[in-house]
Amino acid sequence: MARRLNQKLEQQQAPAFFIRGSSPFARLAFFSALSLMLMAVDSRLQYLTSVRKSLQTAIRPLQALANKPSQLYSSVDEYFSTHHYLLNENKRLKQHALKQDFALQKLNTLALENDHLRQLLQANKTIVESSVVAEIMHVGRDLFTKKIIVNRGEIHKIVAGEAVVDALGVIGQVTRVYPLSSEVTLITDKSLAIPIQIERNGLRAIAFGHGRDNTLDLPYLPANVDIHRGDKLVTSGIDGIYPAGLAIAIVTQIEVTADSPFARIICAPTGGVENHKQVLIVSIPAIKMPQESQLGSPAELIISTKKMPANTTSKPNASQ
Amino acid sequence: MHPSKLKFIYLSLFCAYILLLLPWSGWALTLRPDFMLLVIIFWLIRAPNLCHVGTAWLVGLFVDLATGGIFGQYALVYTVTAFFAIYYQKRLVLFSGMQQLLYVCLLLFIAQVTLLILKTFAGAEFIGWVYFMPSIMGVLLWFVAMTLGLNTGERLRD
Repeated sequence: MARRLNQKLEQQQAPAFFIRGSSPFARLAFFSALSLMLMAVDSRLQYLTSVRKSLQTAIRPLQALANKPSQLYSSVDEYFSTHHYLLNENKRLKQHALKQDFALQKLNTLALENDHLRQLLQANKTIVESSVVAEIMHVGRDLFTKKIIVNRGEIHKIVAGEAVVDALGVIGQVTRVYPLSSEVTLITDKSLAIPIQIERNGLRAIAFGHGRDNTLDLPYLPANVDIHRGDKLVTSGIDGIYPAGLAIAIVTQIEVTADSPFARIICAPTGGVENHKQVLIVSIPAIKMPQESQLGSPAELIISTKKMPANTTSKPNASQ
Repeated sequence: MHPSKLKFIYLSLFCAYILLLLPWSGWALTLRPDFMLLVIIFWLIRAPNLCHVGTAWLVGLFVDLATGGIFGQYALVYTVTAFFAIYYQKRLVLFSGMQQLLYVCLLLFIAQVTLLILKTFAGAEFIGWVYFMPSIMGVLLWFVAMTLGLNTGERLRD
């Protein structure tokens, strides 16, 4: 009787509720080890770049699907925006274009004149930047970093390290390029540094993103430095990444404390770091390296080797 | 209890992924609950035979891909959270709704603290207490879903 019952019980399948594979501990250990390995490989070695690229392309349709509702909303919104508003906007834009045309005419003459003067001086030609208009697809999803994803990528000849600007100033730098999109690290991100110059007196320094609130820091400047509130920071152009003379930020706060030899200088970015739809990706043609045979003094050699990694201005150790 | 089907699991995870991919920004981004984690916790409690630590790990990898961080961060976070969910799963199904809610809250906090530890190792700074808002929103979402009739399999007792 008991044997029969046993047989019967064996024939019965255990309810789904009780089915477990290997113990949760074993699984935890295995998958934790796997993720730790992945993290190590991804942060220290560069093997996963191509994997990331292909997977990113694979989820691209999903991303497009997710972007649809907001696109639909904005297009409907545009459709119903009033006639009056559009007329006004048209008028304003026409005036704006007229003003810019005027400025552009002057600029042409000035550029010609400048070229001519440079020829007279037999100086090098200034670098001509090329630019691509890109649209912001979404803001980075990681709360710890300040990034945006734009809709131009490898196939539009975007290269990591290019500067990203908007109408009001520099907003960041391309840090990762996927086939159809690229990731831009904003100047307010903790890991991004940007060489700057004070417009008023030409003082050069390096600005770092603050990371938390949308500000930049100017660290390592002495307490008696000649910087005032309201000073404008522009790109110095010595890095070979950002075109010279673009607005970056305005000094909003200077704190000098008795216990520190450095001033604490806080700046607010001028560009709409968080509120624009379109941005411009600017690339400066690579600086031609002088031939090795032409290199004379050791000082020149140092300068040229310093220029070599002219790609990113990120701090080396802050990967995320 | 209806037997949970694998396709429902995949479908719900897919929907959660689309929600994650929505162009969140500003305050919405700070408040956004972790949809993927909520869905995976639900299935871990309800159908541990179909969904286990490995599933959570795989889901975590996809989240890593979407956030653009180092591969493996979210995978590790989800693995750890899934372990705690699975380990107490047998007791968890016997809990009342409110008790479950508390436990889910705890799980979400475990996930966020794990992520915070990982990020701190990578050199990030704590962004303030706002960081824990997604957990609170997640619990609210779970509460709403519960009142709307979400069932983690309590009826098994009857």
